[in-house]
Amino acid sequence: MESDEQNQDLERKVTVENLNIEILPIIYEIIRSVEKDHHDNTAKTRESQDCSQKVLELQKRLDQARAEIRMLPGIDYSKEQQLHHLEALKTQLKLKQELLRKYRYMYTFEIPK
Amino acid sequence: MSSQMSTKEKLLYIIDDIELISKEIIENSIAPKHLKLSGPEYAQLTELLVAKNNELNDTLKLASEQAQIDKKMDILKAEVERQDNDINHLQKQLKEAEQILSTAIYQANQKLQSISRANKRPVSSEELIKFAHRISASNAICAPLTWQQGDPRRPYPTDIEMRLGLLGRLMSDPINGHMLQQQNSLSDLHRQGHPGEIPAAQQNQFAWHSSGEMHISVGQGSVPMDTRNHKQETEDVEVMSTDSSSSSSSDSQ
Repeated sequence: MESDEQNQDLERKVTVENLNIEILPIIYEIIRSVEKDHHDNTAKTRESQDCSQKVLELQKRLDQARAEIRMLPGIDYSKEQQLHHLEALKTQLKLKQELLRKYRYMYTFEIPK
Repeated sequence: MSSQMSTKEKLLYIIDDIELISKEIIENSIAPKHLKLSGPEYAQLTELLVAKNNELNDTLKLASEQAQIDKKMDILKAEVERQDNDINHLQKQLKEAEQILSTAIYQANQKLQSISRANKRPVSSEELIKFAHRISASNAICAPLTWQQGDPRRPYPTDIEMRLGLLGRLMSDPINGHMLQQQNSLSDLHRQGHPGEIPAAQQNQFAWHSSGEMHISVGQGSVPMDTRNHKQETEDVEVMSTDSSSSSSSDSQ
């Protein structure tokens, strides 16, 4: 679910398995880099550059997560609603099969002997 | 219908919350000392972040379950669509069958009516055959079976036949020719009476009587003329017109 595996196909079907949702590590890295106290200026500037980069990456990660969530299948309804739909669909299928069976094997033409 | 939040909405809200909390934490870490949050508050915020992350994981698990259910629903939907197609097909066939049956019943009804009409006024087959003989005996309906190109016979009376008939013999031999056709007996017979008479003078001798027969005056009396040509009737009376084009079709009402 939180694996970093990415599907390289053109039509990438988003499943929960290949969702990239690791936000916490980045936040941790940002905080750590802010808390770090450097003594020389060059390291500091480099560190601040890294930090801003990480902030951007955090934002990017969040947006990507949002986009992928939108593409996940089957989550347009809550679980209860979905189960309700499933039951309705099963009933519909059963009714239609009954109807077809009734008319397919109905024989109303009796030839009087 | 239901006021429940869809899983998608839930996930998006959690992500928004995580974003907000992380922003708070980061801003707090770069804020100057006097604006920093206290320790417990900071700890609370961090705990909240972790809790939100866990909630996200749980909701993602739910989403994967729902994806499985969604797959099942797709299969069911395909089945239902198949049934729908079958039902439509069956409906079309039933409609067609109904139409064909109703046409057949209507036509059968017509037939029954014509049968009852025929039964009300029966005609003997002998009479029908007799009339058919008479109609076809003149060869006007169909040529004789042995007719070939060059055969002098025609469907109408030819001039030779006309001359051999009553009118023709009257012109050539007025009294004699007429005598052979005579049916009633006369008191006087004028044989070879006026052979040199002009034919025009004989026209006064023809007269229509009230009975519809034509009479010709011979001397003092008048004799009915037979206007039919009996000679033609005896020709080919055995041969019936068997041409299919001349027989009426049985479907005609």
